[in-house]
Amino acid sequence: MILSGDNISPENSERISTILDVIMSYARLDFSRKTFISGNGDSIDALCAGVNMLGEELESSTLSLREKEQLLKEIHHRVKNNLQIVSSLLNLQSENIKDPAYLNMIVASRNRINSMALVHEMLYASRDLTKIEIGEYIKRLSNNIYLSLSKPDASIHFVYNIEKSYYFEIDKMIPLGLIINEVITNSMKYAFPDNKGSIGIGISDSDGTTTLLISDSGVGFPKGFNLEKDSNLGLQLIKMLTEQLSGKLNINFEGGTSYNIAF
Amino acid sequence: METITPPPYATETGNFFTWMGTDGICRTITKPAAEIDLESAVENSNIVTALYKNKKFPLLVDSRNIRSMTKEARRHFSTNGRDTKITSMAILVKSPLSRVIGNFFMGINKPQVPTRLFDSESEAAQWLKQYL
Repeated sequence: MILSGDNISPENSERISTILDVIMSYARLDFSRKTFISGNGDSIDALCAGVNMLGEELESSTLSLREKEQLLKEIHHRVKNNLQIVSSLLNLQSENIKDPAYLNMIVASRNRINSMALVHEMLYASRDLTKIEIGEYIKRLSNNIYLSLSKPDASIHFVYNIEKSYYFEIDKMIPLGLIINEVITNSMKYAFPDNKGSIGIGISDSDGTTTLLISDSGVGFPKGFNLEKDSNLGLQLIKMLTEQLSGKLNINFEGGTSYNIAF
Repeated sequence: METITPPPYATETGNFFTWMGTDGICRTITKPAAEIDLESAVENSNIVTALYKNKKFPLLVDSRNIRSMTKEARRHFSTNGRDTKITSMAILVKSPLSRVIGNFFMGINKPQVPTRLFDSESEAAQWLKQYL
């Protein structure tokens, strides 16, 4: 880039051009270049010194930021690995259990742990390490649950209604992940006696409120089911986690079961 | 530009002349086109510290001939995180170059002792006297 003007000598024009090149390098986070200070102490030398010092400070801050990012990445990676170890331990323990009721409890616990591990796995792979896109999370989680719970002859399909990308931080993603896990698990376990049907998962927003809607085409809740009295651990968790999100839960039993969580 | 001439008893290092003035103010002046790195900064502050005799003192830095100062040297001169025998610092600047370096030092490194920039030695010395 060449600057010209009546008051700028060709020599100074060249010096200013070099300064601008160095500034552009810094903008690309390349701090290897420095401007040349001629030593005559003029204003351009002053500018050179200022740019050089700014580059040094920026480099230092950038390195520090990169170190912190690396550390955060490492933490998410380790949390994910530790959760997977817990999940594997539960798996190993389940091998000696014959009682289907206990086995179900272990599988449910393992899936809850896996839903949290997936949040950390996606966080350390994400660009800013703080938020993940829930659409991709929902697809991966529902697929994992399907593989874990479906019977060999099952034909249960997932229908996703996620029209745009929604990003959430970990404080929202963990409860949301657990809620989604519980709802899909309930549907997989109770909604389809003939192992056929569909589960719809949608997310939308309006007027600052985000709504998670999960519905199935199954048989619905048993007649006379009382949400307050008869809730299993999964339902209790859904209610508790919705409160944690400062959200509102609405369960509808018509034409299957649908959970509407607005937060 | 009024110049400060180091007395014969001043200690000379690679980039500085340093001595204790008869007024109780320590003075250190940079040599022409001085390029100050951490090694040079540590050498200078060791000389300054060696002048301590039971009482902390103000420091007048003549940086009018400076050419550059590295980030590490600026951090060291800020005296943050290290013991220092100085009560205050007045930095003499004149050329645009020395002004930029001085202002950058003051703005980014924030010395732990009272510090100000001056373009006159007499005004700097007058200000430092309150910290004797």
